[in-house]
Amino acid sequence: MNAVVEFFGRTWVRGVVLAIALVVLLVLPLVSDPHTNQTISHIAVFAVAVLGLNIVMGYTGQVSLGHIFFVGLGAYCAIIPIYYWWGGSLAEGAIVIGFVLSLVIPGVVGLVVALAAVRLRGLALAMVTIALPIIGVPLAKRLGDLTGGNEGLSIRRLAYEGSDGETYRGNPFGAPSWSGLDNDQWQYYLAVLLALLFFALAYFLVRGKFGRAFAIVKANEAVAGSMGIDPYRYKVLAFTISGIYGGAAGFLYVVVLQYTSSETLSFGHSIELVIATIVGGAGSIVGSILGGAFYVLVPQLTNAWGLSQYTLVAQGVIILLVLFLLPGGLASLPRVIRRLTGRRRGGQHVGSRERAESTSGNTKN
Amino acid sequence: MITTVTGRRVLALTAAASALALALAGCSRGGTPSDGGETDGPAAASPGITDTTLLFGINTPLTGTTAGPGNCTADGAIAYFGVKNAEGGIEFGDGKTRTIEIRTYDDEYNPEKSASNFNQMVADGVFAAGLGLGTPTNRAWRDAAAEEGVPQVLVMTGDPIFSTREDGYMTLGLVPTYMQEGAAFGEALVADGQPHQVAVLYQNDDYGKGYVQGFKDAIEGESNIEIVKELSYEPTASSLEGQITELAATGADVLFHAVSVTPLAIADLQKVIALGWKPIVFLPSNTASPGGILTPAGVTGDTFPGVYSAGFAEAAAAPPFAESEAGQAYFEAIAEYVTGHEQDGKSFPHCVWSWMGAQILEEAFKTMTEPTRESFYEALTSITGLETDFGFGPIDTTVDGSPAVQTVVLQKFNGAGYTNVDVVG
Repeated sequence: MNAVVEFFGRTWVRGVVLAIALVVLLVLPLVSDPHTNQTISHIAVFAVAVLGLNIVMGYTGQVSLGHIFFVGLGAYCAIIPIYYWWGGSLAEGAIVIGFVLSLVIPGVVGLVVALAAVRLRGLALAMVTIALPIIGVPLAKRLGDLTGGNEGLSIRRLAYEGSDGETYRGNPFGAPSWSGLDNDQWQYYLAVLLALLFFALAYFLVRGKFGRAFAIVKANEAVAGSMGIDPYRYKVLAFTISGIYGGAAGFLYVVVLQYTSSETLSFGHSIELVIATIVGGAGSIVGSILGGAFYVLVPQLTNAWGLSQYTLVAQGVIILLVLFLLPGGLASLPRVIRRLTGRRRGGQHVGSRERAESTSGNTKN
Repeated sequence: MITTVTGRRVLALTAAASALALALAGCSRGGTPSDGGETDGPAAASPGITDTTLLFGINTPLTGTTAGPGNCTADGAIAYFGVKNAEGGIEFGDGKTRTIEIRTYDDEYNPEKSASNFNQMVADGVFAAGLGLGTPTNRAWRDAAAEEGVPQVLVMTGDPIFSTREDGYMTLGLVPTYMQEGAAFGEALVADGQPHQVAVLYQNDDYGKGYVQGFKDAIEGESNIEIVKELSYEPTASSLEGQITELAATGADVLFHAVSVTPLAIADLQKVIALGWKPIVFLPSNTASPGGILTPAGVTGDTFPGVYSAGFAEAAAAPPFAESEAGQAYFEAIAEYVTGHEQDGKSFPHCVWSWMGAQILEEAFKTMTEPTRESFYEALTSITGLETDFGFGPIDTTVDGSPAVQTVVLQKFNGAGYTNVDVVG
């Protein structure tokens, strides 16, 4: 066991594992059935959402209970330009505008909210962040002419006028004919490749200068201040980045679902994201993927096993098991195994590495 | 040296991975077999139907805040088809007898889950889906269902889009639209012939606006009805006392109360009583329950000149229901086939509605001549004059723009329950 763990600890092995994972991710949609592709695309959406929450909660240690607001806002920013402009003179440009807006607007809103909110701490900050989805839902309904309100906007069979004046129906995220792909494969590539891009950016962010600053702010704000790191500035930065990631998840949401409504912003889903973050592993890149998988797969499995009335019970059991057995989330499983095997053998080498990893905080994966 | 070795290992493993990838890509995707649509024989069966079974999917909130009514939307059909299956199945229009398998999917009243459930239903090969509760959760997969050619039928939302016939969409609503309920009251008020001044309070969304629209359409051009004041509120409001006071000041003799939030409805009626205002009150069907709304608000049979609501099915909680033969069969079936949670079949009206929906489905099954979704949808939208166990009138699914249940009856509160009436007064 120990040898296996050590084998996978080597840098080159990790590189190869990553390369194989990438190749499998790229080839898989060509051979698997549509539902598998759709499921993985869904996981990509929520993995990015959980990653955004992780940046502010896991890495910087600030409570955010309103993250779904950024996801829903991003979804609106993505879908509205497409809904009103796609197929017209702007053509595919509407999608590009939607993508840019879905990053910029949630980012700006995150910045503005954070400027005021992060002066607070703990429960007070949690209360302020709760306000976002609570305001968001009625606001989206009030702006029903733009957002479609409770009934939402669907772009899967969007009517548009062709150059010959006839009305056509098309899906902005349908596979273009040159690709030779099915819709589910095309959406898979869009969602998974964009998600990979955002994960790569986050990986370098949390390992670099900013990541170290976030970790110190999380550990002790006074110490951070004494080292010349302004906690306020870095907390605002973390919230802003988190907002951008939420918005990106919102764009992916539209890519995968081609629908959004005011219900997307609902507060309950925000708590589900927090739970997914904890189950996956706070402050962990791999944990974000596991959190997204938890969010998507548990309801699917309970449906498939004919236990659809027990979705919440199943989620509750998993949360309790994780909290008791793996307080660091599912992502900490290899470390726990390493610690257990290391202790049994009294392995000095492994034990010291474990200590080194757990104290550095921001180098977990 | 080490780097070279490592480099070689990386190279070898990457090559192996690439070979694996190529091999995987080589096997073509398990494509769908060509649908022998051009052959002259009987039409190929749609997915989800065999010579002995049919799979029907219900995508509805089974957990979360809407779980109570959500479970009911499945329970009625589970109980109904449970009885039918135990009797050996239903004889379809093509002469074969099939049992109906219901599979439920929990959407948690979350459009995202609902859309993802639809993908799962396609993967599971459901023949048709429906009966589920909620506007956004049904809207989320409406276009997808059209794309896949899956009928999305008898959905429980007052959203008229599901009952509008449109090329490429196989959809149908079950329950009357909000507009139909509002219209039922408007028509009865007109029929009264007396002059009435109406004060309107409505929720500022599709729900409240639907009620008001139906009411206005019904009273349009009638000289005896005048709307003296209209006020709206947001669904998140915590109190409507201001609006009620303002409306009471008009001295109107009718209060049209299109409010869907239970605590607000109770507080409003209490406020009306406290102000000494005595209008005729109209309540929407979901906030008109004697036990849930009127009694807590202190309304008795003679508090107001009349408390009216609109209904389209018998209430399972009312004593006559349990005494009727159909009612007893209903409760027995619920007790026998509904498992896993505490559902008594009468806490929410949706259980009865789901039972009625199952009866409509059965009629469509009996008349569909080919084992295809198209044949099923055509049969479903050609039903006229079907009497259900608990509806107030025959089912007519042939009218574009109208859901399956169209007979909306005006009901008057008699101090304990509701009785059906024709005119206000």
